[in-house]
Amino acid sequence: MIRFGPLIVLAALLALWQAAGMAMRVETLPTPLAVLPELWALFASGEIWGDLRASLYRLAAGFVLALATGVPLGILCGRSAAVRGFVSPLLALFYPVPKAALIPILMLWLGAGDLSKITIIYLSVTLPIVYHGQQGAAAVEEKLVWSARAMGTGRAGVLLRIILPASLPELLLGVRVAIVIGLIVMISSEMIVRQNGLGYDIFNAMDMAQYRLTYAVIVVVAVLGFVLDATFERLRRRLTFWAPERQDQLPTGA
Amino acid sequence: MIRLDRVSKTYTRAGGGEPVRALSEISADIADGAFVTIVGPSGCGKSTLLYIVGGFVPASGGAVLVEGKPIAGPGPDRGPVFQEFALFPWKTVRQNIRFGLAEQNVPRAEADRRVDELLDLVHLRQYAALYPKELSGGMKQRVAIARTLAYRPRTLLMDEPFGALDAHTRAKLQDELLQIWERERKTVLFITHGVDEAVYLSDRILVMSAAPGAIKADIAVDLPRPRRREELLRHPRYQELVIEIGRMMDTTA
Ligand SMILES: Nc1ncnc2c1ncn2[C@@H]1O[C@H](COP(=O)(O)OP(=O)(O)OP(=O)(O)O)[C@@H](O)[C@H]1O
Ligand SMILES: [Mg+2]
Repeated sequence: MIRFGPLIVLAALLALWQAAGMAMRVETLPTPLAVLPELWALFASGEIWGDLRASLYRLAAGFVLALATGVPLGILCGRSAAVRGFVSPLLALFYPVPKAALIPILMLWLGAGDLSKITIIYLSVTLPIVYHGQQGAAAVEEKLVWSARAMGTGRAGVLLRIILPASLPELLLGVRVAIVIGLIVMISSEMIVRQNGLGYDIFNAMDMAQYRLTYAVIVVVAVLGFVLDATFERLRRRLTFWAPERQDQLPTGA
Repeated sequence: MIRLDRVSKTYTRAGGGEPVRALSEISADIADGAFVTIVGPSGCGKSTLLYIVGGFVPASGGAVLVEGKPIAGPGPDRGPVFQEFALFPWKTVRQNIRFGLAEQNVPRAEADRRVDELLDLVHLRQYAALYPKELSGGMKQRVAIARTLAYRPRTLLMDEPFGALDAHTRAKLQDELLQIWERERKTVLFITHGVDEAVYLSDRILVMSAAPGAIKADIAVDLPRPRRREELLRHPRYQELVIEIGRMMDTTA
């Protein structure tokens, strides 16, 4: 029964939506059954693929950059008071800033193309990665490090072969949070800087009063988010199956 | 030989509180191949002393000399076994034991052979592919010992290695350790709370007093080797030593 829990919840939500749509009978709340053909048409005509690709490209580019810089930075922060001294004030300053508020400025400087969007995604997802990387690296039991040092492992070796794997469970929780934040920022940046992508599609359809299309794209975004999160969650479990169990915390949105 | 030359340690506290004087001018010579045990009340600085000898924590005063040279940090000549096991949780039993050999650039084939040898030694061969979280406390402790023995340190630094185990497992591991020691004649610096364990294993027992830690008595354990548990338990000298040291511990606590 529990196995079917998610399916039952999904069905209930759809039913609720359907009922609400049928009861209200307004154009701005089409029923799922009315949205379905629209959704079908999006994929059948191939219209959606270009935007999906554009959005995913920005998300992936921002993410790869964030991992490449955020992981080393976070781990160094966790292990070196000097590095932490420089980075934590920056983190404290930028963490609470709604990143979408920075989009206009970035647009002025970097133009309305991919660059400004990739940059804003990068900035947003780097923070949780650095933060969780730091937490993970700082919490590594020092006797693990000592054991390795006694075996002749040097400083770089300790970071790479002890601190990094030992921080992985915490680090990957940060990455999961970052995925959710990345999706949010991806959509909002495309809404603000109108060019293409899923966020653009949603608002564009809305402006033209194509409410069924609006809902159809929202469904695509929701499914995309779910699939990304679920896929990553499976990867995370595979990479950290060795870790002692802990309560999995739900990612917090931003 | 390992020489402790007036080793002192004062911990300064990050919160800015009163510094803690953990050790005060500890001096001792530990002969090669000797099994030396430190006993003393909780908090008297036994672990601290072991960490300093290992080179993991710097002394605030004095020096530790190995073969006459002051130590500069940790080294593969001094292998620690921590009470907390400190196994690498992302590595299997086999990979844990192998880690130090890889770090020492031991050739592949030789490292594999050495790991097999150690798995047999600590009776863990059929558990080689398990991860630490899948092991019992006694098994983890055996992996920790095997991992340290693997790279052949001349000195073993063992911090209450059997403290968290049940009496039966502890007795078994004590016997295994004695067998290994009798064959390889490593220098062992061993910490325990158990007076009977100290007398059973050691050549020499250093009794520490607390606040700040200092060596209060240095007792030679003049019992025959190889030691057999049943014989020893009935040996009058064994009983005398246990009672004598037990009494000292009571008055230091
Ligand atoms: N990192 C530290 N910072 C500050 N004080 C410390 C630190 N580590 C140990 N101490 C203090 O030093 C003293 C000695 O501690 P230590 O752990 O060496 O004792 P111990 O003899 O091993 O005790 P036990 O038998 O309980 O393991 C204690 O008073 C402890 O509070
Ligand atoms: Mg201790």
